Amino acid sequence: MSNRMRKILESKRAMRKQLASLTFSEKVAILEKLRDRSLLIASSTIRRHRSRHA
Amino acid sequence: MKATLKVINQMQTDDVIEQYAIGGAVGATFYLEPVATLDIDVFVSFRKATGRSLISLSPIYDYLTARGCKTKKEYIVIEGWPVQFLPPGNALGEEALAQAIETTLDGIPTRVMTAEHLVAIALQTGRAKDFARILQFIEAGLLDSDKLNAILKRHRLLAKWEDFGHRFLRGKK
Repeated sequence: MSNRMRKILESKRAMRKQLASLTFSEKVAILEKLRDRSLLIASSTIRRHRSRHA
Repeated sequence: MKATLKVINQMQTDDVIEQYAIGGAVGATFYLEPVATLDIDVFVSFRKATGRSLISLSPIYDYLTARGCKTKKEYIVIEGWPVQFLPPGNALGEEALAQAIETTLDGIPTRVMTAEHLVAIALQTGRAKDFARILQFIEAGLLDSDKLNAILKRHRLLAKWEDFGHRFLRGKK
C-alpha cells in the first residue's frame, strides 16, 4: 500500500472515530440530513430514467 | 425523529405497547458514525393478553392510523419517519429488548439495544448489510467480547460467528 493511500485510510478512520464520538442527538441530526439527501437522490429524474433502462 | 419518539413513548404511556427498543441502523448509530437509513426498526413487546397466543400488531396500527399516520408497505409513517414495529420473534430478540439501554434524544427518553445484541441480531439475520454493520462494530473496537460471546453461546450463534470470522476477518478476530 502506498504512503498516500495509507494517509487517506488513516484520515478516514479518524473522521469515522470523530463522528462516532458525537452525542446521539448530534448523530441523529446528521442521519436526518443523510436521509433527506438519499430521498432527494432517489427522486431524481436522472436516476429514475437510468433504473428504467438498466 | 424526536417527534417520532414522542409518539412511540405516548404509545407506551397509553399501554398500546409494553416496552420498546430501537435496533437496526438507527440503533447502530448510537454507537457508530451515523449510517444512512430511511426507516427506524423498533422492537416492541406487549402485555400478555389472556387466551391469546398470537402476537398481533393491529393495536399499534389501529392506534396510529386513528391519529392520522399512514401505512406504507410494512411501515407506518410517524412524524415523517417510516417505522417498522417488530415483535422480538425469538429469545435473542426478547433478551435484546429486555436489556436495552436507556438514553435520550434531545431530552426525549428512549431505549437502544446494546452493541452486542445489535451484532448478534445482525449475525442471525445474515444479510450483506448486516455483515457490513458487524464489521463496523469490530473495527470501532466497541464490543465487549465476553458479553458478546455469552450472548452468542446462549443463542447458539457461535458456529455462525466462526463462519463470519473465516469469511470476513481471516484470523483478525
